[in-house]
Amino acid sequence: MSEKKKIAHALTQHSDVASLKALYQSAAMSRRAFVSRLAALGISTSLAGIIVAGSPVAVAATPKRGGRMRAAAGAHGPDDTLDPARFNSVINYGRGEQFYNGLTRIDGFLVAQPDLAESWEPNGDATEWVFKLRKGVEFHSGKSLDAEDALYSIQRHLNKDVGSSAKAFVANVAEGIVENKHTLRFKLKGPDADFPVILGLYQMKIVPVGTTDFSTAPGTGPFKLKEFKPGVRSLAHRNENYWEEGRPYLDEIEWFGISDHNARMNALLAGDISMMSGLDPKAIAKINGSADVRVVNTKAGQYTNFAMMTDRAPSDNNELRLAIKYLQNRERILKLIYKGNGMLGNDQPISPVDPMYCDEIPMRGYDPDKAKHHLKKAGMDGGTIKVHTSEVAGTGAIEQALMLQREASKIGLKIEVQRDPGDGYWSATWGKKPFFMSGWNMRPTANIMLTLAFTSDAAWNEAKWKNPRFDELLTLGRASLDPVQRKNIYCEAQTLIQQTGGVAIPCFIDYLDAMSNKVKGFEPVPLGPLGASQWPRSVWLEG
Amino acid sequence: MWLVVLRRLGLGIITLWVVSLLVFAGTEILPGDVAEAILGQSATPEAVQAIRDQLHLDRPAVVRYADWLTNLLRGDLGVSLAANMEISEMISGRFKNTLVLASLTAALAVPLALAMGLAAAMFPGGRVDRLVTISTLFLLSVPEFFIAATLVLVFAVHLQWLPAITYMTEYESVWQLMESLALPILTLTTSVVAHMARMTRAAIINVMTSPYIEMAILKGVPRGRIVLRHALFNAVGPVVNVIALNLAYLVSGVVIVETVFAYPGLAKLMVDAVSRRDMPLVQACAMIFCTAYILFILIADVLAILANPRLREPK
Repeated sequence: MSEKKKIAHALTQHSDVASLKALYQSAAMSRRAFVSRLAALGISTSLAGIIVAGSPVAVAATPKRGGRMRAAAGAHGPDDTLDPARFNSVINYGRGEQFYNGLTRIDGFLVAQPDLAESWEPNGDATEWVFKLRKGVEFHSGKSLDAEDALYSIQRHLNKDVGSSAKAFVANVAEGIVENKHTLRFKLKGPDADFPVILGLYQMKIVPVGTTDFSTAPGTGPFKLKEFKPGVRSLAHRNENYWEEGRPYLDEIEWFGISDHNARMNALLAGDISMMSGLDPKAIAKINGSADVRVVNTKAGQYTNFAMMTDRAPSDNNELRLAIKYLQNRERILKLIYKGNGMLGNDQPISPVDPMYCDEIPMRGYDPDKAKHHLKKAGMDGGTIKVHTSEVAGTGAIEQALMLQREASKIGLKIEVQRDPGDGYWSATWGKKPFFMSGWNMRPTANIMLTLAFTSDAAWNEAKWKNPRFDELLTLGRASLDPVQRKNIYCEAQTLIQQTGGVAIPCFIDYLDAMSNKVKGFEPVPLGPLGASQWPRSVWLEG
Repeated sequence: MWLVVLRRLGLGIITLWVVSLLVFAGTEILPGDVAEAILGQSATPEAVQAIRDQLHLDRPAVVRYADWLTNLLRGDLGVSLAANMEISEMISGRFKNTLVLASLTAALAVPLALAMGLAAAMFPGGRVDRLVTISTLFLLSVPEFFIAATLVLVFAVHLQWLPAITYMTEYESVWQLMESLALPILTLTTSVVAHMARMTRAAIINVMTSPYIEMAILKGVPRGRIVLRHALFNAVGPVVNVIALNLAYLVSGVVIVETVFAYPGLAKLMVDAVSRRDMPLVQACAMIFCTAYILFILIADVLAILANPRLREPK
């Protein structure tokens, strides 16, 4: 065995590499993604080549073409839209993936993969990015895709009148330059090492230049629009001219919303639909009781948390915040409230599925003695605090508040749980009361999550936690293209939040969906329900 | 008689106006506005202000009410704030769906209720009467969502005879439409039939105690003929009113059935609109529902007058 092969063999014993290898071998990950993930771990190209060569891929099942997929999301309404810039819910995201493509696509490891862009390259300090577009791609209208379309589609988000829900993500773009028909250069205001991931967001779909009417869903996606009624349904049929060889597999997709959870589940059990998003953990047993359907559980980074505002009494005292953090009976919350569908949280918002997750911070356990100790130091022994909660705050928000009440009573802290109405919770309670429940979806990169919700001047900094060093770290992280350095930077940032932040995050909650056993080819992506809605291009119906 | 109808119509219009005031006032005092509802957790003061400016929400309520009312009188329902679409366009399809479900249910429920009521009134205290009384009391006391859930569990999940939800897809035949709507129609029928059947029974039994019926009995007229020829017409007034109320309920109040069966009707649209604080849409739906109530009651009154000449002269 050559020296290089020995190193490669030793590397595959490493847990990160081994899990990547398993995914690659089960055909859940492309060769390209595998190599780029290895590179992200700091493994050289030649070593990566040896590892890839030593990992034969299992023969994947042959996709079956044809059939109509009927699938349902939950929330939907008259404001359903086909304008990518205004996408804000699973029902819209699902349509986005049917009718459009982005420049990049975010894969199961939160790494940007080529979509309409074939490749991309940053400059040395990540302030400029050049994207090479795929050639020969046509929109549904027959128009060929070029760099003008891509530029228009991204710049739309910056236009105030568009009302983009993703405006904040592209606010860093200073200008876009069309270098030639298939080359687009973005100049950024400040460095951003994660820029390709941002272009893979749900809203960053590419439309023909100048489009203002989206009623025909004029994208390049695997399906063409046949019918769309907001708040009712959409009907899509296969784009015979789709650029991805052999895809899509389905003939038609009927995609609609069934708001009521029980109705949605009954429709799946009765065979009226083949796939549904958003399964209540309480209903898992019911799905498992049927031989025809299965639960799909995606490890993710969404969480329901306690927010403790650091700019007002009594939660401005970090001792009190630590007491609350030690009172989190994490394992019990995960087991009882989420029926085990999640991962333990460590009072910082980056989950273990994120490449930047810091596993060096010791997990904070449930410890009433330490909680009591910090409570005394805070001078709150025998005190009372009021926690505001609501069912809209996040999955399990009311249960978590009640669980805390129970644990707190054991150390002589009285917690009043106040249930506020869902209407107006985000305007009247969130970010206003010292203690309240909140909930967050996972963001595609650690930097986005931390910037949006934890930097000193962030509008969504719910606990008003301010830390100059933390802000500085995020700026450094954006500018760094070196994987090891990035990991160190984000580790320090996570540690700061864990030790002094205003949030107690007892666990991360999996996305739970359910589908018929006939549905094959589903790929989990941790960014959202139903594999971040990327199913239209990959699934097929068996039998 | 036309005078009576005209007077009723005039009263109806005044009622509509009062309702428009109430609806507008009601939507004004709801906490939050469409800007906050659209943005939810992601609301920042700037974003909220931007949407408010865009939608002209900062004008005084009186001005907005006057604008809305004048547009309404011109037949312009306005533009939905959340969806940015013409409300008339959003409502038309939904309204059609609501009418389809309501009329199919009525076609089944009204004759059934009348037949049950008449059968029960024929021999009060008899076996048929007791059966009708017990079953209608049972149906009245079981909530609609329970009936719906039970029907779905039995016919959709276990037997798999009927779909658990209604597809509003392209129907190839009337049979398909009936199959798809079978469970919602059945659910709604059980919830409205009891009310109408009991009223029919009560009204006829009430008339049956009048002296002229006693006279008919003494003359030896057969029981069935007494009920159908002599009693029924005098009992029409209260019966058609109850039918009218139930029909109006079918148009406006079936939000639970629409939710359980994912049926895209008008009531669900209104509930969605409330949660999104889409006031023009809420107001439009409320006005349609109110108009439906007033129209049905008006028709019921006219029918009652036709059946009973004594009501033709206003007192």
